[in-house]
Amino acid sequence: MRFGLIGFLLLLLSLESCTDENRCYDSVDTLMISSFSVSGFKNINSMRIRGINRNDVGNTLFTDSTTSLTKRVPLPLSLSADSTGFIFTVNGKIDTLFVRHKMIISFISEYCGFAPAYTLAGFRRSKGIDSIRIKDAKVNSQSILKSINDQNINIYFNSASH
Amino acid sequence: MIRILISILIALVISSTSALAQTKAEAWRYEGPRIGVDISRFLLPAISTGNRTGWELQADIPYKGNLFPTFETGMQWFDDKHSSFHYKNSGAYGRLGVDMSIVKFESLKDHDFVFVGFRYGYAMFNQQTDSIVSSNYWGTKVGSLSNHPMSAHWGELVFGMKGELLPNFFFGWSLRAKFPLVVTNDQNIQPYIIPGLGKTGNGTPFDFSITMSYRFPIFKTKKIPKPITVGGAKHPGLNEDIDPNSQGFGGSGGGGGYNRGR
Repeated sequence: MRFGLIGFLLLLLSLESCTDENRCYDSVDTLMISSFSVSGFKNINSMRIRGINRNDVGNTLFTDSTTSLTKRVPLPLSLSADSTGFIFTVNGKIDTLFVRHKMIISFISEYCGFAPAYTLAGFRRSKGIDSIRIKDAKVNSQSILKSINDQNINIYFNSASH
Repeated sequence: MIRILISILIALVISSTSALAQTKAEAWRYEGPRIGVDISRFLLPAISTGNRTGWELQADIPYKGNLFPTFETGMQWFDDKHSSFHYKNSGAYGRLGVDMSIVKFESLKDHDFVFVGFRYGYAMFNQQTDSIVSSNYWGTKVGSLSNHPMSAHWGELVFGMKGELLPNFFFGWSLRAKFPLVVTNDQNIQPYIIPGLGKTGNGTPFDFSITMSYRFPIFKTKKIPKPITVGGAKHPGLNEDIDPNSQGFGGSGGGGGYNRGR
């Protein structure tokens, strides 16, 4: 009995020492998954995205010169403001989009820490953008894991101006 | 406070002295309430992440020889500093439950036992997070989440052993599976550690305790508690307490009813 007391105690201590894995295995990047297309099934031949008031070299968020019907781009949202502005250059034409959102800091895990989580609240767009469809207003650290055919928003550009 | 400590010390000395005297009268089985301390709580800083400290007291009292209604209480402080946040959590907790011996006591002097039991736990605590650093394309933001009072309820299944290493001094351990029932909701951060419950991140938290306890031998009997059997017509713990001085028992000679039955 007393050997059992001591033996099991050593086993418990050894098990306890094996349980903590101090690594982060979860996504902590919060990105709004956005799909872009031009109305009327027109191709996008070139596309460049940067943030408003982010004009320095290296501030381009996305650039692509391959031709396709749609582009799928993850976009970061502002951490301190309640709206985020983007400038899109699609087929040589420039458009702007402001995304209104509410943000909270959400806990991921002990080892991953926190990540911002947004709820999309609305948009303000230039005339070259026909429409915007919200598929999922919740933008959080899990959004990046959406399947290739899923996204937070779809943005449709006007075919006449692009 | 000093008076309380002195009173406890005097009680320990008196009961130890009486226990030594009692060892000569081997025909008696001494039982009584046990008060102990969970020494594993003092090992937490060495085996746990973050700066986790605390204490825990445990008390039980025998009921019908095989059942041990148990009360446990403690406090815990947790201070976890990471590169992107600083989390603090502290509070008090209590647990109520019963342990049940599942082995047969071999003799009147045998108090070693293996037990299973359950607990209901409740904790009141506060949590606060500072220096939360978030960075992305748009810059860096440092935020904090203010102090938030919280509470938690949970259940526990317990398995363990206790052995009497010295007269009235017990050493034991228990392994515990814990089941969170209700935790106050915080939309920003659900606590990943709860005083008395442990870490909540990976489903069912497991924990263990290592207890050093002292028994106040204030009850005596000549009967060895029968092991608890499942499905019996009569609960073994429901046998009448045998008082050797009572009329029905007939004084100190002859042993208890259990022995006579054999």
